[in-house]
Amino acid sequence: MTAAAKSGAKMTATPITRVLGVSALAATAVMAVLGLVVSPPDVVQGEAVRMLYLHVPSIWIAYGGFALTSISSILFLWRSGRRADQGRHYDRLAGAAAEVGVVFTAITLITGMLWGKVTWGTYWQWDARLTTTVLLFVTYLGYLALRRLPAEPTVRSRRAAVMALISFINVPIVHFSVDWWRTLHQKASLSVGRRPEITGEMYWTLLYSALAVTVLATWLIIHRYRVIRLEELRDEEGLEALIASRLNKDVGSH
Amino acid sequence: MLGATDDEGTPMSEVATVIAGWGITFVVLATYSIWVVLRGKSIGQELGIGGIEQSDLGKDTSATADS
Repeated sequence: MTAAAKSGAKMTATPITRVLGVSALAATAVMAVLGLVVSPPDVVQGEAVRMLYLHVPSIWIAYGGFALTSISSILFLWRSGRRADQGRHYDRLAGAAAEVGVVFTAITLITGMLWGKVTWGTYWQWDARLTTTVLLFVTYLGYLALRRLPAEPTVRSRRAAVMALISFINVPIVHFSVDWWRTLHQKASLSVGRRPEITGEMYWTLLYSALAVTVLATWLIIHRYRVIRLEELRDEEGLEALIASRLNKDVGSH
Repeated sequence: MLGATDDEGTPMSEVATVIAGWGITFVVLATYSIWVVLRGKSIGQELGIGGIEQSDLGKDTSATADS
């Protein structure tokens, strides 16, 4: 048995995450039926409005993922010195949430470009919303790259935590860009304290889609967190094996 | 949003766009999900903690298996 197994290391699934995974699969299947079949076409946009059920929940999940990354990063910076694991738990959570956030930002950009081609007649326009969103995507890709740079783990985690906090500044800018500047992009479909732009089946399908992708994102973050932990264990074992082989070599040469 | 003004704004292209958007989204999410699960399996096997399926049922609390 390896040190990792002895330490009580877990692989990526437990009965709870299995149930969550099956729920995510079922929820996304229902989401497809609601979004593609049940929900009616829009009076102005026609069938293209069905992109709404992917595009809007995806950016909500991305915002949520990046918010979780920021909260975990603050906790890492604040509490890492006081925890037995030196804050590794918070660091893993930050990394997992950021990666899932990046995946959903990519989906937002892809679906937005396709939707834009039909409604605006162009895939891309350098307006405030689109530009700040692509900047958000690139910034968090940089954050993920920073996490992979070779360095002492605590130093690397601290650098990543600081970058996560800087990167998060762009999230409210992306969200409010449609209010702050004149853009081609429409204003938010749903906002707290404002009457929804959509109603009826479209409204409920959008809310359901948000719920379905939230379940999926939760499952992904939990699994990715556990994979990061396994990666750390593998690296530690590799390092221990390297030190042991070097020590054996030194003993043999004397 | 504004309505499309070119020929590609016909209902057929709307349907094609919707199919492309939903198709790409599901492919991206499925690929990422499978990658995460397989990476966990692969590293778990490297570490020698794979295949302890019974532990999930409470027979061994030291490790759990993946799916």
